[in-house]
Amino acid sequence: MNVESNPFPRHQWVRLWCALPNDVVEKAAAKCAHSMRVDDIKSPEAGLALLTLRDGALAEPYYLGEIPLSRAHVSVSTPEGKNAEGAALIMDDRAHLARAMAILDAVLAAKLPGWESAFALLEEGARAIQKMERTRKAILATTQVDFSLLASTEGDEDE
Amino acid sequence: MGYVAIKGGGRAIKGATAVLEMLRTSEGDRGTPLSLDVIETQLRLLTSRVLSEGGLYHPPLAALAIKQMQGDTLEAAFTLRAYRSTRPRLLETPVQDTSGMRIIRRISSAFKEIPGGQILGPTFDYTLRLMRFDLVDEDPKTFRSFVRRFLKDVPEDRLPTNFPRVVDTFRAEGLLPPASPRDITPFDITREPLVFPVPRSAALSTMARAETGSLLALAYSNMRGFGDIHPTVAELRVGYLPVLLPHPATGETMEMGEVLMTECEVIAMYEEGEDGGSPVFTMGYGACFGHNEVKAISMAILDRALQKGMRDGPSNPSEDPEFVLLHIDGVDSMGFASHYKMPHYVTFQSDMDRLRSTRRKAEGTGQDKTGKGYDPGGDPA
Repeated sequence: MNVESNPFPRHQWVRLWCALPNDVVEKAAAKCAHSMRVDDIKSPEAGLALLTLRDGALAEPYYLGEIPLSRAHVSVSTPEGKNAEGAALIMDDRAHLARAMAILDAVLAAKLPGWESAFALLEEGARAIQKMERTRKAILATTQVDFSLLASTEGDEDE
Repeated sequence: MGYVAIKGGGRAIKGATAVLEMLRTSEGDRGTPLSLDVIETQLRLLTSRVLSEGGLYHPPLAALAIKQMQGDTLEAAFTLRAYRSTRPRLLETPVQDTSGMRIIRRISSAFKEIPGGQILGPTFDYTLRLMRFDLVDEDPKTFRSFVRRFLKDVPEDRLPTNFPRVVDTFRAEGLLPPASPRDITPFDITREPLVFPVPRSAALSTMARAETGSLLALAYSNMRGFGDIHPTVAELRVGYLPVLLPHPATGETMEMGEVLMTECEVIAMYEEGEDGGSPVFTMGYGACFGHNEVKAISMAILDRALQKGMRDGPSNPSEDPEFVLLHIDGVDSMGFASHYKMPHYVTFQSDMDRLRSTRRKAEGTGQDKTGKGYDPGGDPA
């Protein structure tokens, strides 16, 4: 698998990087940023977001509560003058982590130097998510009710 | 009566804090500090309760609050809310669609063959409430290998992670009122006080972060007879809701994380349709952060009761928005109860003075010695 046939659309990148240990992501971003100039288009911020849902009875919007949110939006420039924008929104308190992901986002989107490591982290994140999904699927598979087994005693357990 | 100075408690207060810490660590050399991961994982339902009642989906901090407050859920929720009050609000998310929830449990008591099937997921519903004494002295090796053994025996399956909503089936048959999404701005209970009447969105938000026991008690009053909801659980879902926001650089919708939540729709007594149409079932809705089924079901019952109360006027406590919504918040009610522990020296001195004065007057005149109903200028009856 290589970035030419990147199977991960950009809207999934942050999810995949979030599945990895934070220090791995931050180290990779720091390595990329070392040889490039990073400017904050908006200062990285950490705070909360109000989570809006629509209720399942009358389809009215309401707020379920709050979630942590960090966000960053950066511009990355190479010494050769190549430039790209990157951004990240994550459910986390650490603005510096969001900034690290925003740098990786820019680097990978424009294939700036170091994009290979950002891409490798996507693959690693995908494996972590696959593992988590397998556990969840196991929960579903193990506990799915098979009513056909009750066919011979139909009616016994119906209220 | 003179002013009662409140001084001299500083040393004792410091001591009380130290005693709390001493008791928390009283295992001494044998002890192991609780890690947040242990609390979040092994006490997952407790963590769920605290983050839902705290109104902030932050599992590690909910675990920290539980550790810090030594298992007191009310104090832990209070601490979580205090934390959130120090954080800036950066944005309100667009309306999230819970049909995209990554399900780990979904059941219906309305009918058994629901589209996608019933998934029991993690539940104590079918376990015997007998002590598991093998957990008293648990073998760490067995403990650590269980997940591996569990996953090894599970066949690969093709089950989806998203499932259709059960209520959509009823809607398709015209048994429920049609869902017509309205784009009203919801009421923000963290910024605005509840001044009645309040919109339904205020009721939903207030119940979503209510104390589980309070919500259950009021819903139970309705179930037992102080109300006539007679609910059927159309669907109870537990799963992870992906939170989607626009990417700041591309504008494309991206996933920033996921939230474990419980959601429930109950179907209640049918009523005449709008504008004299065919009768349709009525519904109630409940949801909360984390895995907390009793809370979601209780909320759904109360939502339905409050809809009736808001429309026709309350005929029992659980239909009265003011009664319900002002008495279910754990932090509010715990605070009020706890404040009675604070010094009331001045007010109590005043009560004592009044009692003594009343007794003196009663002894002098031979009137009511209890002081109750005593009114020298009014009707003694």
